[in-house]
Amino acid sequence: MSRTPTWLPLIAMFAVTAIVFSACAGAASPSPGSASPSAASGSPSAVASASASASAASSAPFDATSYPETAIDCANPPQFEGRAYTGNISQIVAADQYTVEFHLCQPDVAFLSKIAFASNNIQDADWLQAHAKDKSYVRDANGTGAYQLKEWIAGDHLTLEAYPTYWGEAAKSPTAIIRWSKEATQRLQELAIGTVDGIDNVGTDDFQAVKDNPELALFDRVGLNVFYMGFNVDQAPWNDEKVRQAIAKGIDRQRIVDTFFPAGSEASKYFTPCDIPGGCGGDAWYEFDAAAAKQELTAAGFDFAQTYKMHYRTKTRSYLPNPPAVAQDIQAQFKDNLGIDVEIVVEEDATYLTNSSKGDFPLFLLGWGADYPDVTNFLDYHFGTGANDAFGPHFPDVEALLKQGSAEQDPAKRGEIYAEANGLIRQHVPMVPIAHVGSATAFRADVDGAHSSPIGNEQLAVMTPGDRNQLVWMQQSEPSGLYCGDESDGDALRACEQIFESLYGYELGGVEVKPVLAESCDPSADLKVWTCTLKQGVTFHKGGELDANDVVLSYAIQWDAKHELHVGNGGAFDYFPALFGGFLNPPAPA
Amino acid sequence: MSANVTQPTAELLGDQPAAPRTTGLWRDTVANILRQRNAVVGLAIITLLVLAAIFADVIAPIPPNKVLLGTEAGVRKLSPPCVHLLGCPTDRPQHLLGTDTNVRDEWSRVVHGARVSLQVGFVTVGFAIVIGMLIGAVAGYAGGVMDNGLMRLMDVVLAFPSLILAILIVSALGHSLINAQVAIGIVAIPVYARVMRASVLSIKEQDYVTAARALGASPGSILLRRIVPNSLTPLIVQGTLGIGGAVLEVAALSFIGIGAQPPIAEWGSMVGLERGQLFNAPWLIFGPGIALSLTVFGFNLLGDGLRDALDPRLNR
Repeated sequence: MSRTPTWLPLIAMFAVTAIVFSACAGAASPSPGSASPSAASGSPSAVASASASASAASSAPFDATSYPETAIDCANPPQFEGRAYTGNISQIVAADQYTVEFHLCQPDVAFLSKIAFASNNIQDADWLQAHAKDKSYVRDANGTGAYQLKEWIAGDHLTLEAYPTYWGEAAKSPTAIIRWSKEATQRLQELAIGTVDGIDNVGTDDFQAVKDNPELALFDRVGLNVFYMGFNVDQAPWNDEKVRQAIAKGIDRQRIVDTFFPAGSEASKYFTPCDIPGGCGGDAWYEFDAAAAKQELTAAGFDFAQTYKMHYRTKTRSYLPNPPAVAQDIQAQFKDNLGIDVEIVVEEDATYLTNSSKGDFPLFLLGWGADYPDVTNFLDYHFGTGANDAFGPHFPDVEALLKQGSAEQDPAKRGEIYAEANGLIRQHVPMVPIAHVGSATAFRADVDGAHSSPIGNEQLAVMTPGDRNQLVWMQQSEPSGLYCGDESDGDALRACEQIFESLYGYELGGVEVKPVLAESCDPSADLKVWTCTLKQGVTFHKGGELDANDVVLSYAIQWDAKHELHVGNGGAFDYFPALFGGFLNPPAPA
Repeated sequence: MSANVTQPTAELLGDQPAAPRTTGLWRDTVANILRQRNAVVGLAIITLLVLAAIFADVIAPIPPNKVLLGTEAGVRKLSPPCVHLLGCPTDRPQHLLGTDTNVRDEWSRVVHGARVSLQVGFVTVGFAIVIGMLIGAVAGYAGGVMDNGLMRLMDVVLAFPSLILAILIVSALGHSLINAQVAIGIVAIPVYARVMRASVLSIKEQDYVTAARALGASPGSILLRRIVPNSLTPLIVQGTLGIGGAVLEVAALSFIGIGAQPPIAEWGSMVGLERGQLFNAPWLIFGPGIALSLTVFGFNLLGDGLRDALDPRLNR
């Protein structure tokens, strides 16, 4: 019986390792200009793949791409399995290495504000190709911002470190830590004892305590948000417009504002806050009149014997600093003012937005904070063609007006259109706008550059935490992910904004837009083509230089619901259709 | 001589305690309980709580869920306790424990909370005792495979941390006070089943059980008429001790939001909803917190007293 020599397996292992290594190396570095089989097919996703390859091979001539290859014919919108294209983008073209063109179906006066938003940050095409399909880009990040992600300890904190070759002004603090706690008391305690340098959303009852503490500084935040009680108008008994109108009159919104919201808050007269130009036109919201509301409910044949469920989540937001207390007050108002029994149902934070977007909740509490200061950010997102199904079936009359409004360049005419839209929303009552809620951030008094942003995108990179070598920021919740094309939660978006950048951005602590990754974006005479010239020499944290194909692919994978990289975190991609009217290849309605 | 002998004997006899009078089990038990200071304190606390629960509408006439906005001048949320007799300005509305975040009278909610918590304690433990007693009695009397099967099932339930298992059950059944009671009741069953089984194993070997069997009594009759009544003592003790635990566990579930749902005035839920006010309005934490502690303390003292009173080995 012969024995196998011990060196034979070693040689075999070495040989196998060498073969595998060479195969992997070959796969990782294709020859310049090589096209994958799918690239030859000419499908939209194939175009994006080819562009990514070109981007990777920096020495190769730039292979400018467009998405889709043939522009959408806006006059005859394509049908996708029977569903017409409702979006406003016709094509995105990489004209050359540093020039991108956005071709629109109709003018969009808020275009710059929209591309400045965090969900439209620009990512490296190679990174997306490698990390989208397996969703690894949700927990890791490769941006161009002043901070890069060092580590994410799940359930505890994110560590950011200054990006040494950042194209702009370097981060003031070499390290920034993002922590979270849903308890306002804990956030304030940690700030008071100095374990954190800044906190988001000071508790409603803690404003004075912060003002009275000489070691702390309070930064008020204007209430560019709306807290509302939504109905799914497809589900009984809320499918009766008369019933919804009666409920709108039966809730004392001023009482809620006076009791639960901090100074600077106001009962909503319109869905859009009046600080947003053009947001407040038309008839104001219904006055509180419990007696009339009850009469109208009776006349509408409302069933007072039933108990109706009202859903909410306990996560505090700037528009809802104390959810349980407000929910209980609304419950009490239903009972006392209208004689309606309402059962409060607490939903899981993690699934609340997704489920409400699908229209799962007949009656629910939710809100919205401004992403950019334009009416479209409030009305189009909730009632436009790209809106989700939270309120059930859309209202075509409102949709038509919003489409008209977003394209209208004359501010006066635009105001008239939105006034009319406000009137229709008031008539249909898909929700009851309750309040525009003021909030505040607070910092240790020695933090230089501390500020609050009306749209909640505080920039940690401009802050110097006294003589400490790291800045610790505590917000309300852990970011749900760092691929912000598919995030809609403010805490995730804020984290993204420390790491990623968009073509445009917002001024520090304000809402005016300014170029960031673009030198400029200029419209054509008819406002239907926006040409963006990119900054040169911008690099991604994990390598690679920004070029036009990165922009095309960053947008394309959000836009095309059938793109092979259209994966995201939960996969809802709520923002893109809301900002730009709809998906390519829109998914079938739920 | 005999007189000399008789006298000391009489004196001796006179010093002897009188022969114990036969007064009945319950009277003896009550007498034993009353002899123990801890048990008396526990009984007093429980009596007070029961009276508060029964007369809650009298002691605290403001409905516990009533939002006071618009009904009283000057009322506001998180008002500190105000008693006019103790110097609180008369232009401020009087509220013994202040008002909560939703501008409800905290005293009313604490007092009415006694109803909820006592009901929770008795129902939960009652449910667990009934089921546990049945399982333990059958397992102990039948023995063999039946005993093995039922007790291993109980071991499985005991293998989980009780609160975690309760959270699991409530999550599956849905968030509500009733489901929380069911969950806590289910996780408590093995304790009572084991106690009952141990008693049955001991009692079924007693002579009077053997006699009943010899006289032709059926197993069911023996179990129900001879064994179960004589096994109740340890169950009562365990149950009394368990009520405090059950109240605490349901409060824990309510604290994290999966037990009693708003606007029910339940102590755990009240502490949970106002936990952010620990520094602004501590009375909102201390009120229900102290009530909860008192209840658990009272039942524990009473349970200990009952154990001592009902255990003949500890009789003095």
